[in-house]
Amino acid sequence: MVEEALRYLGAGDAPEDLRRQVAVEAKALSASLRPRFAYRVCELDFQSERILLRGTAVVLTGTTAFRMLGSCGRAALLACTLGTRFDLSLAAMQARDMARAVILDACGSALVEQGCDGAEKELAARFPGQYLTDRFSPGYGDLPLSLQGNICTALDAPRRLGLHVTESSLLNPVKSVTAVVGLSDQPQKARIRGCTYCQMRESCALHKGGNHCEN
Amino acid sequence: MKIDLVQDRILLLDGAMGTELQRRGLPPGGQPELLNLTDPELLASVYQEYADAGSQVVYANTFGANALKLARSGHTVEEVVSAAVSTARQAVGGRAMVALDVGPLGELLEPMGSLTFERAYELFREMMLAGAAAGADLIAVETMTDLYEAKAALLAAKENSTLPVLVTMSFEESGRTFTGCTVASMARTLEGLGADAVGLNCSLGPEQLVPLLRELCENTRLPVIAKPNAGLPDPVDGHYDMGPEEFAAAMLPCLEAGVTVFGGCCGTSPAYIRELKAALEGRRPVSRRYAGGSFVCTPVVPLRLDGVRVIGERVNPTGKKRFQQALLEGDLDYILDIAVQQEEAGADILDINVGCPGVDEAAMLPRVVKKIQSAVSLPLQLDSSNPDALEAGLRVYNGKPAVNSVNGEAAVLERILPIVKKYGASVVGLTMDCEGIPGTAEKRVEIAKRILERASAHGIPREDLWIDCLALTVSAQQEQAGETLKAVRTVRRELGLQTVLGVSNISFGLPNRPLVTENFLIQALAAGLTLPIVNPNQREMMDAVAAFRVLSGEDEHCRDYIERFSALPASRTAPAQDGPATLEEAVIRGLKTDAARLAKEALEGEDGLSLVEGRLIPALDSVGEGYERGTVFLPQLLSAAQAAQAVFEAVRTSIAERGGAPVKKGRLIVATVQGDIHDIGKNIVKTVLENYGYEVLDLGRDVPPEAVARAVEEHNVGLVGLSALMTTTLPAMEETVRQLRALDRPPAVFVGGAVVTPEYAERIGADGYAKDARQSVEITRRVLG
Repeated sequence: MVEEALRYLGAGDAPEDLRRQVAVEAKALSASLRPRFAYRVCELDFQSERILLRGTAVVLTGTTAFRMLGSCGRAALLACTLGTRFDLSLAAMQARDMARAVILDACGSALVEQGCDGAEKELAARFPGQYLTDRFSPGYGDLPLSLQGNICTALDAPRRLGLHVTESSLLNPVKSVTAVVGLSDQPQKARIRGCTYCQMRESCALHKGGNHCEN
Repeated sequence: MKIDLVQDRILLLDGAMGTELQRRGLPPGGQPELLNLTDPELLASVYQEYADAGSQVVYANTFGANALKLARSGHTVEEVVSAAVSTARQAVGGRAMVALDVGPLGELLEPMGSLTFERAYELFREMMLAGAAAGADLIAVETMTDLYEAKAALLAAKENSTLPVLVTMSFEESGRTFTGCTVASMARTLEGLGADAVGLNCSLGPEQLVPLLRELCENTRLPVIAKPNAGLPDPVDGHYDMGPEEFAAAMLPCLEAGVTVFGGCCGTSPAYIRELKAALEGRRPVSRRYAGGSFVCTPVVPLRLDGVRVIGERVNPTGKKRFQQALLEGDLDYILDIAVQQEEAGADILDINVGCPGVDEAAMLPRVVKKIQSAVSLPLQLDSSNPDALEAGLRVYNGKPAVNSVNGEAAVLERILPIVKKYGASVVGLTMDCEGIPGTAEKRVEIAKRILERASAHGIPREDLWIDCLALTVSAQQEQAGETLKAVRTVRRELGLQTVLGVSNISFGLPNRPLVTENFLIQALAAGLTLPIVNPNQREMMDAVAAFRVLSGEDEHCRDYIERFSALPASRTAPAQDGPATLEEAVIRGLKTDAARLAKEALEGEDGLSLVEGRLIPALDSVGEGYERGTVFLPQLLSAAQAAQAVFEAVRTSIAERGGAPVKKGRLIVATVQGDIHDIGKNIVKTVLENYGYEVLDLGRDVPPEAVARAVEEHNVGLVGLSALMTTTLPAMEETVRQLRALDRPPAVFVGGAVVTPEYAERIGADGYAKDARQSVEITRRVLG
């Protein structure tokens, strides 16, 4: 989480005392709050230009969705949030110490991603034998931000997580993520996260040859 | 029909509506409230089945029937609510009462969201009026996770109907709601505001709720409601795991915990209510133990007054020029900073006084309350003699506050106590009346008794009355110190009330004031003072309180005391070892305290403006250059900025004390555009610019284009900075620029934010693009000099 937070701060090669400050903030944050998440698995209904998630009002369009879910029969909708308590403590910190506040902000971003990892892990355990695609979120590629509303409704996120969507399709509380994760019978390439994470890495001819695929 | 909300009888509510409608084929994602108009028969069948199953109250299908959620439906709140209530009334045909069901509005309230408390109240008010007119028998506010929203709903219910109001909130197993509200804060706040019953609903199953219900029962005298889910939902498909019989059996421990009002939430159906009724048949409510005691709170800090609690006195303009100037200029950040310092110094409660000539207190107090509670979690004591200001402040306070003060004068008591009662506050009673402050302890105690009698007559519990026996200046009236202590002792021992005392007054006019004040404080604590009002930034006072808590046994195992003092030697010696030699070095290294000290020293011989221009700005520039080269990172840049702020504060204070005009290098406006709630970037820019000496008017986040334009005209500002983080809010940025361009005297505009590019900035007609805070300084310099 510390490395991730430093990356958000644009300070990968940070001096020791900044690194230490980030570590202190990260530790305090993970001790004080846990990301909350919810997910729901839906059958996919492929139509010519769009993919429907059965039982919900979520409709995926565009090349990103087709590329990511092409070989999937089902997909999970996922939402994760640090809640308004993070927003409150960030506001409080901004009133005290802006320097610590930007560190806290970066740690919050890292923690909510960690929460998504946790949700994915749980999901994978619930579906042994299934391969998960990388998770992808509204705003990534050509997946529109306007999906946030329907994803949150499908997950009952306001009630279950206290997660709301504003008129302009922003998530509130601020440190929140929604995502789609495909479930497939076939191994999935790490299209977003890269070769290091790819399930095909061991057998990939491109990787052996020092190259990588277009995904 | 009248509801029987008494402690010694069991009342059966209904089960779920939402999941029950889904079970009957309502597609997910639809708006169930519209069925009130399109399919009343379906709803009638649900109400009937609940009444058949034994529900004595059914909730009408109005959970989300507010104007925000109905905005795009083409129907009014009144239409939807009255259809729901009348269908329910007909369906149950007098066998059950009908509740207007009021759920959350669906948007977050300020300070986290942009929905104001006042707007939330209006939205709820509309529902309450419609529900009461349609003939609802009671109001059920439910599934709240934000105490502030629950307060808005409860106030709207009480002020716009005479119906009984049940309020239930949703908690996590941790004992807090999503927004961090505790069970005790909820119970004490809502009971104070006049709820008729309180409880928990949704989010958890009966088993997980039992410990929370037990805690709730200890914290309220009201009937307690349990309306849990049918267990926990399966994360994959959302099905709840408990059947009707299992659910009913699991509800019996709730009865043992003290609950008398029962029902079910998500996943429950009429079958569950039938089983629940059978399980409760012939059972009696248990007798409960109310833990009571004096208490104030914010949602996240429930503060029991069961020992010495320090009230911080610093948010008060009396005799402070710099504070008065901040009030007159509406500089709420300055006031917030004072509140923050006291929280950090260990205060438990903050006194808030904004009375000052030229300031409209009734408008200012609520603004300051909102500002402080956006970043400080301590309970507040609103300090004013103006009833309008008090009411306005109490209204927007989130939690159970205190009021400072009333006195023994009949007119004052009759003016202020009704407001105290209405908002469930605690109140300080000064032992004086129209004849002044009595010279003897006995007479002061008499006044305390009179105040107690009036407070009780107004329905204010004695635990909510705090008596101030008034400390007078010992150099003027030496014998009075003893009388005050005697009065404190009597009020505490004989009347058993909380005691308040502003101790700083005692030493006025004497040399070495802290010594006298500290001595008096210790004697007063020994006499029974529980709520000293002090300056918590004076270490001696806080040390004395820490030591007293050890000796009184309140600080168990001396834990707090050890923690307070074991860390001290290190922090005292550290700066001495490698303290900065110059002001410039202190700023560059981000050492705020040292920077302030060195600035104060420098200001004795140097003019404020030359200090800023000649030393401070060059130091900041060298940090800024490092940031551009990538050798200094954002947190370090901001530390330097904050150290610079401390220097500025020293300069401002020195100028205010000499009565000079404030230093200002020019003024600009910053805002995060409409629809956008990510404002940390804008706040960074503001911090850095302020520390270059610019006056920054921060309009906040989610600011409509018209509001930016209006502010530019009103304040006659030549430069505006706008930020937007998401692609969906870029159009609002474009529109804001367009409106600014259309003004008679258009300001220069610079824009920034994650998705903004220089090309985009140019395309929408902005004058500049700032990639980061450093560039915003360059632009501001170019425009304002």
